[in-house]
Amino acid sequence: MIKLAEAVFQHLNSWGLPVLLLIVGIIEFLFGLYNKQADRNEFMIDLMSFAIPKILFRPVLAYFSLRLLPVLLPGMQGVFSWVPFFWGVVIIAVADDLTQYWNHRLHHQVPFLWRFHRTHHSAPYMGVAVYFRNNLIHVLLFSQVYLVVTLVYLGLGYPALFVAGMKALIVSAAHSSILWDKPLYRNKWLHPVAWVLERFISTPATHHAHHAVTSDDGIGYYKGNFGNMFFLWDIIFGTGIITRKYPGAYGISHYERDEWYAQFLWPLFKSKVADSELSAGGPMVRMDDEPAEIGVEEKTRT
Amino acid sequence: MKLEKTVARKLLRDGIISLFLYALPVILMFLYFYIRGERPWKEQQGHSSVIATKK
Repeated sequence: MIKLAEAVFQHLNSWGLPVLLLIVGIIEFLFGLYNKQADRNEFMIDLMSFAIPKILFRPVLAYFSLRLLPVLLPGMQGVFSWVPFFWGVVIIAVADDLTQYWNHRLHHQVPFLWRFHRTHHSAPYMGVAVYFRNNLIHVLLFSQVYLVVTLVYLGLGYPALFVAGMKALIVSAAHSSILWDKPLYRNKWLHPVAWVLERFISTPATHHAHHAVTSDDGIGYYKGNFGNMFFLWDIIFGTGIITRKYPGAYGISHYERDEWYAQFLWPLFKSKVADSELSAGGPMVRMDDEPAEIGVEEKTRT
Repeated sequence: MKLEKTVARKLLRDGIISLFLYALPVILMFLYFYIRGERPWKEQQGHSSVIATKK
């Protein structure tokens, strides 16, 4: 058992992480942490999002690193291999995660980009499966993996892989329905630890708030909390809120279960749900559905 | 649907701050080397030229 755990962490960036998250996903499922909203359509989106990029990405990344990078950055292979491991980790952690913060924020705040990111938010539940749940075109066009591969090419291989592994663990733990941060808020003597941690990295409380169905209950905040590995960016730019509470409902208020293939492959396939953001001729950003007593203020997903 | 002006302004402001944040760890690393009098990039150049000579 210990040897298996060792092997998982040694191969975190290849097969280790998918195996680890698969185990966590099964635990979440067995403990009923995926609520009853997870039907066959949702399961198909999660399954495709987990499996297909792993098959498709290998040839794409091989082409990118072996063919494209030597042309784009000629003579620069290994040029930064002199950078010490510690500084490499710090530089890459900032470069990678700040870029992803911007990637994420722009997908929420620029109306044109929202539909590429919508699939990640349509899940009416939280869990490690949501971490993988993405539109395929979005993954191929906007993945951070290209940055990591470029850094490996430039000679920052070990720090890049270390950061990629650390980030995958933190971000998947923030999506998990196992509320590992809850004890930090319950026990008063742990509050100083909680104070630092929730400002530094994404936790289930802050990231679940980002996946909430509403931003109007004082807990959910899909209009912010964009941080992936580090929550620090939200603190610096004033785009985050910390409540130490978990939303009552997740997803998109006007979600009507668009077909899994439309969510996974939009814009190649369109949704048949009328007025869906993913349907042919549908709105770029649809206003949130609100209960009559709340729906005074005009609200959008952006 | 267009990008709101206030959102665009905030994006620009935060984008400029981000340039500084990207540069910060690189600046700190060179500051660290300067204080300790180290030049690891020179060592690598020397190492590369030794290998080239041996060939």
